Amino acid sequence: MKSRAIYGHLFSAPWIITFALFWLYPLAYSLYLGFTDYRLMLPDYNWVGLENFRNLMHDSDFLSALKNTFIFVLGTIPLTTVISLLFALLLEKNFRGRTLFRSAYFMPSITSMVVIALIFTNLYSRGGYLYLLADMLGLSPPPNGFLLSSKTALYTIMAMDVWMSVGYYMLLFLAGLKSIPKELYEAAEVAGAGAMRKFLSITLPLLKPVALFIIVINTIKSFQVFIEIFVMTKGNYGTSTAVYFIYDSGLSRFQFGYASAAAYILFVIIALFSIAQFKLLKSRPVQ
Amino acid sequence: MKTTKILLTSILLGILIISCGNKNETDKQSQPGSTENLEPITLEWWHFWTDPAIKPTIEQMVNEYETAHPNITIKLTDLTWANGHEKIVVAFSSGTAPDIIELGSDWIAEFANSGQLASIGDLVASDTAQYLGWAPATFKDSIVAFPWILGTRVLFVNRDLQKQTSLDSEFVPINWNDMKKLCFAIDSLGKGIYGFGSNAAEKHRLYKKFLPFFWSMGGRIFGQTDRFAGFAGDQAYKALEFYKTLNDSCSMIDTQRRLEDAFLEGIVGVVISGDWLLKRIHNENRKLDFYTTLIPGPKYPGKSFLGGEYLSVSKASKNRESAVDFIKFITSPENQVRFCKANYSANPSSKVATEDGFFTSDINLQTFTKQIRQAEAPPNDPQWVYIEDLIEKCLERILFEGKPMAETLTETNRKIQEYMNSR
Repeated sequence: MKSRAIYGHLFSAPWIITFALFWLYPLAYSLYLGFTDYRLMLPDYNWVGLENFRNLMHDSDFLSALKNTFIFVLGTIPLTTVISLLFALLLEKNFRGRTLFRSAYFMPSITSMVVIALIFTNLYSRGGYLYLLADMLGLSPPPNGFLLSSKTALYTIMAMDVWMSVGYYMLLFLAGLKSIPKELYEAAEVAGAGAMRKFLSITLPLLKPVALFIIVINTIKSFQVFIEIFVMTKGNYGTSTAVYFIYDSGLSRFQFGYASAAAYILFVIIALFSIAQFKLLKSRPVQ
Repeated sequence: MKTTKILLTSILLGILIISCGNKNETDKQSQPGSTENLEPITLEWWHFWTDPAIKPTIEQMVNEYETAHPNITIKLTDLTWANGHEKIVVAFSSGTAPDIIELGSDWIAEFANSGQLASIGDLVASDTAQYLGWAPATFKDSIVAFPWILGTRVLFVNRDLQKQTSLDSEFVPINWNDMKKLCFAIDSLGKGIYGFGSNAAEKHRLYKKFLPFFWSMGGRIFGQTDRFAGFAGDQAYKALEFYKTLNDSCSMIDTQRRLEDAFLEGIVGVVISGDWLLKRIHNENRKLDFYTTLIPGPKYPGKSFLGGEYLSVSKASKNRESAVDFIKFITSPENQVRFCKANYSANPSSKVATEDGFFTSDINLQTFTKQIRQAEAPPNDPQWVYIEDLIEKCLERILFEGKPMAETLTETNRKIQEYMNSR
């Protein structure tokens, strides 16, 4: 029995060591760095207490990055959730070509974000298809392309993100819809309920756990938006986000202490948002 | 017992594999030859020349050096401009820097300040008179880098488009008024043609386009005593006012690469660019009627940006003398001419090299030779990369976000001042 336990420890050791070395240690060390003025290339560093956090609260670049992140989160999550639910409801019905549509909508989710961002950079640029389409529709796009204007850059990246994410969340909603017992709908029909009543009283309440999962996951992902920004605008034209700011401070300016403090502020914001969402959307048993 | 045997066998196998790993290196070092009395040396060199047009020339030069110095092996590592700076910083910080590193001119002060670069002044004292571009290579009176290939920017004008305007076909812009006249005239041709190619907010690029106008106005970011002199004065305002007029009224705004594409396709009439555009025109065999001229200033001639590639020796290198010897070989006049011919580079650092027929017979390369005498390097300050970032953000806000010019300049000035004070 004892040797079984030893084997157990031995087999799990690689994972535990990796976790401790590459996750726990960096997490704890970056928290420590957040209270120092550590900069790569400088020979020594000092404990500065809360100075980094105080400076961040007055740093217009960080505040603007935070504002952009909130716009990104609050703009993309409701849209992504509603559209993916809508697609799931449509694709749950039996019709010819259903599988083709499901695959088509899911395709962006399995494509590299860098590839998608590069394609959209071209589509949004002056002379790109989306630019020309907007021009044809009389929407007067910015003269140098959507991504080279601070009025449109962030919103067009958000639109791309919604387009990219919808397929994945649609699939999760579809799985949720499949798990709802058919008897409930039959009973509702017997009681004379219409389609809207069935949706509001059965589908929506029973999808709440899936919706909660989607919203929380999507919130965390959206707060951490980086690749799109890095590839498409490098944080220019009012598109810098919190993670881009952390990257820029840490890996461009090598202000590791400052970047670590910013990362922990973002961590607290994400944690608070997730807790609030859990509390708000906590599932109650269906009456 | 069985488990112990398996474990022991695995460990022995592991040791065997590891000991076989360095076989080639060991073999090479123990090879008998003419270098029996010389200690074998491996010099690691990190460089940025990955372009297929120039890489074979680099490798050929390395081979020639190795043949002439059989005890020396040069280990080449390619870097890219996208992340080379980060890799060098990490290498220095972790004590794994190579012996020889190619550095951009505006990085030297940063690395020298942190004590990572070896002083090579004693080994290159006899060369200083023969080469240009020592200012960025000198930090606190100590030479820490050797100038290799310098770089500047000039004005490229599409002559075909100019001919279609009411301006004389021989007209050459020599001051800001002329430049404005030319850009507006080309822009007024319509049909999707733009007068000037203005840089979008691209890191490390936008400020290089603006600062020459600031310098041409007599502006100085750092004063004589290397103290911050200011960025918000009359010179900055007037230079920015001129640049903004071009940007707002007659420009295609895009990334440098796309602006150059547009210039080559005859969509943009005037662009500021470097010798790499000449290389493209040459290598792609473009049938383009164009000319190059010095960047106009309020008065003729205007200033341009001076940058370049420098070779430094890491302070941690155990082979400083050999490394400098190799650097001298690579930067020798004949090798610089070879390099420039292969890469179509306009500005070798060697004064002797600039007299080669390759440069003197090409009117466009001559423009670069003249412009480099009117070019300025950014301040040789270890924090320059961060100051540069503040200036770029300021330009971005004024040019692309419509922020008021005077207030934004004053705000940037304050931020730079704060940054300098906090050091």
